Amino acid sequence: MEIIIEEITRAHKLIARHKFMQSNVNIGRGYNNDIIMADPHICAQHLNLSFNGEHWVLNDKGSVNGSFYEDGFSKTKSAINEHIVHSGQVFVIGKSLVRIVFPEHPVPESVSFSPFESLLTLTRHPIVLTLSIMLFASVTGWLFNLHNPVEVNFTQLLVPAIGMTLLFSLWPAGVALVSHLTKHDARFWGQLSICFVFYNLMWLSDFIENIVSFNASSQSMLGVTAALLPIVLAFCLFWLNCHIGFHMSNQRRTVIASCMTFLLFGGSFLIKLSKKPEFSIQPAFNSTLLAPSYLFTGSINVQGFIENSKALFNDAQEAAKKEKQ
Amino acid sequence: MKGLTTLILLCVSTISYATEQAEEIFKQLAPSLYQIRLIDIASGEKSSIGSGFQISSDGLIATNYHVISGYARHPNKYTIEILDHQGKKAPLTLQSVDVINDLALVKRVANSEMPFFEIAQSVPHKGEELYSLGNPHDLGMIVVPGTYNGLKKESFNDRIHFTGSVNSGMSGGPVVNKRSEVVGINVATSGNQIGFLVPQDKLLNLYERYKVSEPENIKAQMAQQLADNQDKLITTLLNSEWQMRPLGEGLIPVVNIPFIRCWGESNADKADAIVLAVVANCSLDENTYISNDFFTGSIEMEYRYMQAKELSDTKFYQIFERQLNQVMPGNKAGKEDVSEFKCQHDIVTPSNQAITNKSVFCTRAYKDFPKLFDVLYIAISVDKGDKALLSHFTIAGVSQNSALNFTEKFMESISWK
Repeated sequence: MEIIIEEITRAHKLIARHKFMQSNVNIGRGYNNDIIMADPHICAQHLNLSFNGEHWVLNDKGSVNGSFYEDGFSKTKSAINEHIVHSGQVFVIGKSLVRIVFPEHPVPESVSFSPFESLLTLTRHPIVLTLSIMLFASVTGWLFNLHNPVEVNFTQLLVPAIGMTLLFSLWPAGVALVSHLTKHDARFWGQLSICFVFYNLMWLSDFIENIVSFNASSQSMLGVTAALLPIVLAFCLFWLNCHIGFHMSNQRRTVIASCMTFLLFGGSFLIKLSKKPEFSIQPAFNSTLLAPSYLFTGSINVQGFIENSKALFNDAQEAAKKEKQ
Repeated sequence: MKGLTTLILLCVSTISYATEQAEEIFKQLAPSLYQIRLIDIASGEKSSIGSGFQISSDGLIATNYHVISGYARHPNKYTIEILDHQGKKAPLTLQSVDVINDLALVKRVANSEMPFFEIAQSVPHKGEELYSLGNPHDLGMIVVPGTYNGLKKESFNDRIHFTGSVNSGMSGGPVVNKRSEVVGINVATSGNQIGFLVPQDKLLNLYERYKVSEPENIKAQMAQQLADNQDKLITTLLNSEWQMRPLGEGLIPVVNIPFIRCWGESNADKADAIVLAVVANCSLDENTYISNDFFTGSIEMEYRYMQAKELSDTKFYQIFERQLNQVMPGNKAGKEDVSEFKCQHDIVTPSNQAITNKSVFCTRAYKDFPKLFDVLYIAISVDKGDKALLSHFTIAGVSQNSALNFTEKFMESISWK
C-alpha cells in the first residue's frame, strides 16, 4: 500500500515529504525507524502506522509526550490510540507536526503564470535593475541639490544619493527576509527590482502632483485627485511584494496590501495631525512654485481673484464666531 | 573768560528759574494728579501702573487707553483704582475710550467739587516750554520740563513731538503749559529725550462726545473706532498718488504720502550669492494698541526682485517657494483675538497684461470686533525663467470692502518694466 507522510511546520509549511510502499511505517527518534525525527521531545520508538487491510491505523507506542491529532470538529487535541487515519489529517508528535496523505488525495488546481511574472523577468534583468537604481539615486541627488539653498558640488550629492538608495533597499531586503523566514522563496532580486521601479514611479507621481498643484487654483479639485496617485502606487507595490514573496490567495493579498497602505498613509497622517499646533498664526496654503515652463493653465484677471476672495471673509467670520463660543 | 562766566551764570539762572516754575506748577496741580493702578483680582496685587489727571469737578479722570487696556479687555480679571498725592486709594469705573488716540476716561466718586486740570483751547507754538507730569517706574510723581516741537510729520494720527524724557509709568499723565493748561497727554517715547504726546484736541473731542452721550458698550465703541480709522486710512491711501518705481526689472507702486515710509536693501555687494536679491518695503510707522499681545491698524508692503546667477530655473523657483512659506502676519495677535487664516490662491494676470503672478490672499477675522479682519496678500511672478518679482502686503484691522479695494489696486499696479 502506498502512503505519503509530510513533515510540516506549525504554519503547515512543508519541510520534508516521504512516500512508502509498505504497510507498516515507524516514526521516532531511533535510527531503526522509517522516518527519523530530530525533535528531542519525540521518543526513540514513538509512533506506528500500519495498514490493517481496510484502514491505515495509528498507534502511539507509549511515548513520554504522547501523540495527538487535531480534531477538526471539536477543535481540541485528542490522544492517539488505534486511530483510523483520514487523508490529509495532521498529527502532533512531540513538538513536531506530520501530515498523512493517501495517494488519491486531491490537489488544488494548478496556478497559471501570472502576467506579473513576465514584468518581473523584465525588471529583474541586470541592465534594467541597474538603470532603475541609478535613476533613483540621481533623482535623489538632484532633489537634494534643489532643496539646498546654496550651490552643491557633485561629491556632496553622492553621499545623500547613495545613502538614500541603501536606505530604500532595506524594504525589499526586509520583505525577502520575511519570505525566507516563512519558508518561502526569498527572491531578493525580484523584490529589489520591483521596489525600485515603483520608487521611481513615486518620484514621477510626486512630480505630477507638483505640476498639478502649481497649475490648479484653490477653487479646483484637481490637486486632491493628484494626491490619490501615491496611495494607488503604494498599494500596487505592496500587492506585488506579497505576490513575489508569498503564496497566498488574491483576496488575502489585497487585504494585506490595503492594510499596509492604510498603515503607511494613515500613520503619516496621524503624525502630521499630532504635530499640528492648536492654533497657528501662520497662513496655510499650497505654496508649490515651479519654473514658468511648467505653467500650462491660463490665468484669471484681478476682478475674478477679488470675487473669489470675498467668500473667505465669511468663512473667517464664521470661524471666529464658532471659536468664540 | 568774563563773557563765558556770564554765560554759565545766565544758564544756571535759567535752569533754576525753570525748576522753580516746575515746582510751582507741581504744587498747584498735585491734588488733581493720580497714579492709576490695574489690580489683579486673584492676587490682589497691582499688575500695571500709569498716570492720570482729573478733567472735571465731578471726578472724571483722563489717562491712556493702554494703561487700563487689561480692564477694558477682561473686566472680570482686574479692577482699576487711583492713588492720590496723599496716598489715598479710590476705585474707578471705565467710562469711555478712544483706542486710536490711546485715551480713556475713568471716573471716581466725587462727594464734593474737586480741583481739576483745564484743557487748553489753543495749540502751543514751536519751542514753547512745557511740563510733563507723571509717576515713572512707580518712583513718585515728578515733573519733567521740555519743549514743544510741533506735530510728528510721519504719523497718520497726530502726535506731538515733545523734547523731554517721557518714561514708562508716566503714560496718561498730562503735559501742561506755563498757564497750567493741558496741551497733551504722555503716550510714548522713542529713546533719549524724544517723547510723544496725544494732542489736547483729541481729549477735548472725547470729552465733548462723552458729555453728549455715554457709550453703552466699550467693546462696540472700540470696534467702531477701529473700523472708522482704518476706513479713513485706506481711503486716504487709495486717493493718494501711487508712484511706479523700478525695482530690478520690475515696477512697484509706492504710495506717495508722508506717513508711509519706505526702506530698501540688497545683496549686490555679495559676489558669491547665487541669487541677486533687492528688497524694498514700505510701512505705516504706527499701529493701534489693543492689548499687550494684540496690535492692529498696521499696513506694510514689501517687494522683492530676485535674479538668478548661473542657476537653473527649477532651483531658482524652489528657493522662491521657501520665501512663500515664510510669510507671516504683520501684526501681533493670538488665539483669543483672531481666527486662523483662510486662504485662496490662483494664477492671476492684471489688466495691463504685463505680468503673471501666483497670488495668494488670506484673511482672518477678529473675535471681539465683528466685521474687522487682518488680510495678507503675497504674489510671485511666474512668467520669467531667471527673474521673479515678489509683491506682498498685510493690513491689520480692516473691513472687507476696504481690504478688497486696496487688494485690487495693489494687484493692478505690479508689472514688469
